[in-house]
Amino acid sequence: MENLKDNLDNGLKDSLPIATKELTLNMGPQHPATHGVLRLVLELDGETIVKCTPYIGYLHRGIEKLSEHRNYFQIIPLTDRLDYIASMSNNIGYCVAVEKLFGIEVTERSQFIRTIAAEMSRILSHLLWLGTHALDIGAMTVFLYCFREREKLLDLFERLCGARLTVSYTRVGGVKNDVTAEWLEDLYAFTGEFPMRVEQYETLIDQNRIWLRRTKGIGVISAEDAINWGLSGPTLRGSGVPYDVRKFMPYAAYDKVKWEVPTGKNGDVYDRYRVRMEEFRQSNLIIRQCIEKIPSGPIMADAPKFILPPKDKVLNDMEHLIHHFVLITKGPQTAPEGEIYVATEAPKGELGFYIVSDGTGKPYRMRIRTPSFVHISALPKFSEGSLVADIVASIGSIDIVLGECDR
Amino acid sequence: MTAKEFIKKVLFIEILKGLALTLKHLFSPAVTRQYPAERREPFPGSRGLHALVIDEYTGKAKCVGCGLCAAMCPSQCIYIYTSEDEDHKKIVNRYEIEVLRCVYCALCVEACPFGAVALTEHYEYSDYSRDVFYYTKERLLENWNKYMAGQKGKEYFEKFWRPKSEDFRNSKEPHAS
Repeated sequence: MENLKDNLDNGLKDSLPIATKELTLNMGPQHPATHGVLRLVLELDGETIVKCTPYIGYLHRGIEKLSEHRNYFQIIPLTDRLDYIASMSNNIGYCVAVEKLFGIEVTERSQFIRTIAAEMSRILSHLLWLGTHALDIGAMTVFLYCFREREKLLDLFERLCGARLTVSYTRVGGVKNDVTAEWLEDLYAFTGEFPMRVEQYETLIDQNRIWLRRTKGIGVISAEDAINWGLSGPTLRGSGVPYDVRKFMPYAAYDKVKWEVPTGKNGDVYDRYRVRMEEFRQSNLIIRQCIEKIPSGPIMADAPKFILPPKDKVLNDMEHLIHHFVLITKGPQTAPEGEIYVATEAPKGELGFYIVSDGTGKPYRMRIRTPSFVHISALPKFSEGSLVADIVASIGSIDIVLGECDR
Repeated sequence: MTAKEFIKKVLFIEILKGLALTLKHLFSPAVTRQYPAERREPFPGSRGLHALVIDEYTGKAKCVGCGLCAAMCPSQCIYIYTSEDEDHKKIVNRYEIEVLRCVYCALCVEACPFGAVALTEHYEYSDYSRDVFYYTKERLLENWNKYMAGQKGKEYFEKFWRPKSEDFRNSKEPHAS
C-alpha cells in the first residue's frame, strides 16, 4: 500500500508538475444577487478574489441622449427610469436642477410636499435594499416584512399621484397635484407605527450571529479611500464621513426640519447596514416634522414663462391657449443659456444633474451623475482579497440599481 | 467576552427572539391578498388604460385633433390623422394609441387643452397578441363609456386635470405672459 502511494506521488511529480492557476469566473449578468444586470468577471485564487472587473451596459436605454430630443417637461418621465426604486427622488433632483437653471423659486408648500415625498422614497428604497440584501445573505423573513411596509407606502404614492413606481410627480416649478388632509393623516399614522416596524427588522437580524459573521469586517473601505473613490450617500457615511447633500447644500425644506446624519465607524458591510437602519428613523422623523409644519398655500411657482398655464384660463382665454401650445410643442423658449450642476441626495447617494442649455426648449446636453455608477466603479476596491461569497454581501451593501448605472 | 455575552451566545438568545417574532406573526391576520380571487380597487386617479372623452351634451368625442398630446408624449405613441370636411372643418379621422409603448405618465392628459383624453383606473388588460394593444379611436371612446362615464369622469377632470388657477401663487391674475 505504501509502495503504491510512493509510486503514485513520484509518478505525479514527474509527469504533472503541480502548478497553480487563476480561475476566471463569470458572475452575471443574469444573477439574482447582482440586483439587475451587472456582470462581474472574477479572477480567483482558490476562493479568494484576486481581481474583480465589473461590466456594465446591459440596461442602457440612452436616457441622456433621449433628453436632448425632449423638452424640459418631457424629461420628467425619463428620470423615473433612472433609479426605478426611488423614482420620486430622481424627479425631485431633476426639477431642482431645472428650476435653478431657470431661476424659479418654488412655493413653500411645494417644498414641504417634495421633502415628504423624497423621504418616503428613501424609506421605500431602503426597504427594498434591506429585503434583498438580507435575502442575498440568507435571511428570508426580512424580505417579506419589508414588503409589507413598502406596500403601504406605495398605496400612499398611488393615492398621491396615480402611480406606484414610476410616479412622474414633480413638475418644473412645483408638483403635479396637491396633497389632501386625509392623505397627510394617513401618512402620519404610518410614521407613528413605522419605528416599531424597524425594531422588528432589527430583532430579526441585528444581533443574529449568522448576519454578524456575514457582514462584520467584510467589504471594508476606509474613509479616505471612500472619498477618493467618489462614494456618496450611506455607502460613504458607513465609513464615518458625515457628508450629506441635504445638510451641506439644503434644497426643498431640509433646512427647516431637525434631523441628524447617521454615520458608521469601520466602513464594513455591517456599518453601512446600521447607517441605513438609522436613516429609516431619521426619514421618519423628517416626514413627521414636515406634516406638522406644512404651510397652506399654492403649489406652483409664479413663473409663467416656464410653467403650463392653468387649465381654466386655457379653456377661456386665447392668450393662454397660445402660450400653452408654444410651451408644449417647443418647450420653454426663454430658457437662459448656460450650464448648471445641481446635486441632491437620492437614497443611494449623490444624484447630480448637469444641464447645458443653449436657450432652446430642450437641453443641449444632460449628464446625470448617478451614485450607482460611481459605486460600481469602486467594487474592485471593495472585493480585493475577499472571498467569493462575500462579494454578494459587498454588492448588496453598496445598494446599486443598474437602471441608474447604465442610464 | 463578559458573562452576559457568554450566556447570550450559549442560549441563542437573539435567534430565539427572532423566532418569537415570526411565531407571533403566525397568529396575526395575513397581509397578502390572493390576487385573482381578491382584487384591490385602484385609488381614484390611478393611471391605467387610456380613454377618449365623450362630450355628454353632443355625444361625440371631445377631441379636436390639435395634436398636443402627441407632441407632449415622451414615448411618442399617439398617432393622430386629421382632414378637412366640406365645411372646411377639421375632422379627426384616426386617433390611435400604441398602448404597449405608453409609459403612463399622464402628460397627454395635462397637455390636452380641452380635457379630451384621460387615463382610466382600469389596469387589467393583458392579452395574447400585440395587435390588441393598438387602440383605435372607436375602442378608446368605448373605454370612456366602460370605465369613466358619468360622475367618475367629471370628478376625474376636476381633481386630476392640473394645473388650475388655485395652484398658483397670485391666483388673482396669474400668467400675465
